[in-house]
Amino acid sequence: MSTLLELRDVCLRGRQDQRLDHVSLSVCTGETVALLGPSGAGKSSLLAVANGSLKPDAGEVLLQGSPLRQRPRQERRQVGTLWQELRLVEELTVAQNINSGALGRRSLLWALVNLLWPLEQRSCLRCLQQAGLEANLINRSVTSLSGGQRQRVALARLFRQRPELVLADEPLSSLDPALVEELLSTLLRSSPLDAFDTLPSATVICLHRPDLIDRFDRVIGLRKGRVVIDAPARQVSDQELQALYASAQ
Amino acid sequence: MTRLRVSPPLLCLLPGLALVPVLTVVTRSFHGGGVETWWQFLQGAFHPSLDPALLQSLSSGLQVTVATALMGWGLSIVLGTLLGVISSDVVWTSFGLTTAPARILRMATALPRAVHELLWGLLLLQVVGLHPWVAIAAIAIPYGALVARVLRDQIDSIDRQTLNAILQCGAGAPAALLTALLPPVQPILLSYGGYRLECALRSATLLGVFGLGGIGTELKLTLQSLQFSEFWTGLWLLMALSVVLEQLLGLWRRTRQQRASQWNVVAFLLITLLSIAGGGWWVHSLFSESSTTLQWMVPPLPSFAELQRASAELPWGTMLEQTLRTTLLAAGIAIGLPPLTLLLLPTSIAQKIWQVLWTVQRVLPPPLTLLMLLLVNLPSLSLAALALGLHNAGVMGRLLSEGLAQQSTSLQRAIEATGAGSRQAWLLGQLSPQSRAYLAYGAYRTDVILRETVVVGLVGGTGLGWMLIESLSSFHWAAVVLLIGVFAGLTLTGEAISDRLRQNWLQA
Repeated sequence: MSTLLELRDVCLRGRQDQRLDHVSLSVCTGETVALLGPSGAGKSSLLAVANGSLKPDAGEVLLQGSPLRQRPRQERRQVGTLWQELRLVEELTVAQNINSGALGRRSLLWALVNLLWPLEQRSCLRCLQQAGLEANLINRSVTSLSGGQRQRVALARLFRQRPELVLADEPLSSLDPALVEELLSTLLRSSPLDAFDTLPSATVICLHRPDLIDRFDRVIGLRKGRVVIDAPARQVSDQELQALYASAQ
Repeated sequence: MTRLRVSPPLLCLLPGLALVPVLTVVTRSFHGGGVETWWQFLQGAFHPSLDPALLQSLSSGLQVTVATALMGWGLSIVLGTLLGVISSDVVWTSFGLTTAPARILRMATALPRAVHELLWGLLLLQVVGLHPWVAIAAIAIPYGALVARVLRDQIDSIDRQTLNAILQCGAGAPAALLTALLPPVQPILLSYGGYRLECALRSATLLGVFGLGGIGTELKLTLQSLQFSEFWTGLWLLMALSVVLEQLLGLWRRTRQQRASQWNVVAFLLITLLSIAGGGWWVHSLFSESSTTLQWMVPPLPSFAELQRASAELPWGTMLEQTLRTTLLAAGIAIGLPPLTLLLLPTSIAQKIWQVLWTVQRVLPPPLTLLMLLLVNLPSLSLAALALGLHNAGVMGRLLSEGLAQQSTSLQRAIEATGAGSRQAWLLGQLSPQSRAYLAYGAYRTDVILRETVVVGLVGGTGLGWMLIESLSSFHWAAVVLLIGVFAGLTLTGEAISDRLRQNWLQA
């Protein structure tokens, strides 16, 4: 397995504390990683540094061996993020929001026309259906959707982006158990989705549910900005997990 | 001890207290010599002249005003949109660049928007001579800077998370900005753009009053020659045009609210471009016979010694005090009068009558109101404040009636059901829910009134405006530069205060 993403001695300063403190880790192709830790441990900061939206104060972030932030923006689309707060354009329709995932491969004119007529509706529809939404929602405004449906639109946008590495920031929070199961199955499936040309090479999901780690290959535990657990999921003991959360209290 | 807190509906009424000192002075300085003239003036409203020669003259004046307003407005929208986009921080950061150019541009556009369009008109008149383009540029420059400011504030206040998420998908900065920012910004741009078209029509009329052509010039000439039936023909025509424009803009606003789509931007863009092209062609055809050419005579820049001398000569204390006093009194009348009149007569028939009066007040440029008041009064600061206050009360009154019309009457009915009187029910059930938004707009209007003091100052002989016209007529450029600088500083300070007040009202 080759290394897809690598963080080397990454530091990120917060206003009062160190949000990431000399973090080094790597994610290989084919891996599914659960990122655990109590609130304020630095999980979201780590994902933001890993996708290039935050610049670390020290250290390096490498994607397939080359510095991520030095890569052209079009190449950075290889890293796709499912944001905790979804970040949809509220004034646009479902299809237009899904299409915003394809902007890295399209021209400015395409972006302009997409605001008037949702383009490539068949591709949108495929992504929509694989995210588990009904086709008749495609031209609805995202403001008219429920919380679960909106999350699926964000997921469909991610499918439309076709990234090699998927980072998901607490995608399971505020979802009912049935939806959690569906979303995890979609994000961690081992066979390619129709919407993707290929299967995403790796997936990192930040979550607050230690009971779900059996579904992952590997667990990374963060506490006060430091990596305190980095081991295959089956080797992580309940005591280690309890200690991870207990120490924060 | 309990702290005294004035509730928002009462705060809408309290500024009306400005009427007490103003009306006291105006009543004292009243002279009966012009009463008969006033009577003739009022009679003229019911017997407008229908002389074909007059109608033709008014029609061509109205065409000049409309063409000037359309082209000036269209150019200001294009200019303002471009400036607004490139002066917003978020645009520069999306390209990974420093925001220093945006900051410089923001500072550079502060002066054009602080100077009233009338001043721009008078200054450009000195530089390029009397030409149709003067009025167009006088509208386009300050309006463009105002549109830029509103647009930039909107762009920079939008949550950047969505933009960052789209950039994260690998989108280029232009495509990401277009997708993430245009949809949330477009309703503000469209509604503010529509409002500025109404303002452009008023400004084009006002510029005419000061000799730049159009219906304003016709109105002023007929008023000065006491041809009231002719004056009213022009005023009725202007009012009809204003009402049609307001109705069309209201229809456009309602259609947009029902069908929120990015096609609205395309329609707005087409209207803007058509306004520029159509307005340009119209102005050209109206002035094709007069062979006026643009001249270029830049006034000499005053030396430091000249500026020092002019600074020592000017009566700063009196001028500033008069300007601020006019602003406060006029703002008090503008904010307080509409709710006060509706409270005193809350019947639906009275409301209709007030609406007609407010239309007359806002359509009539303040200098003409002042000239009419001067028929029966001696010139005073209070009279200037009254003219300015009445004009702006017309704008505020319309806003208040629109807000009240869109509001449910269930609260008012519920209060009436408790046995409260109709005035109490109106105050608590109708005005109260509107009061914060009304006060927020009142804060903005005060800022506009401060800019407009220059307009009545030119006629009424008070404040910075009066001194400015004196300095312009005597080509005293050092005084002109100083006065414009101080006036700009004053209006920018007023703008900052009104922004703070507006935010407080809207967030409370």
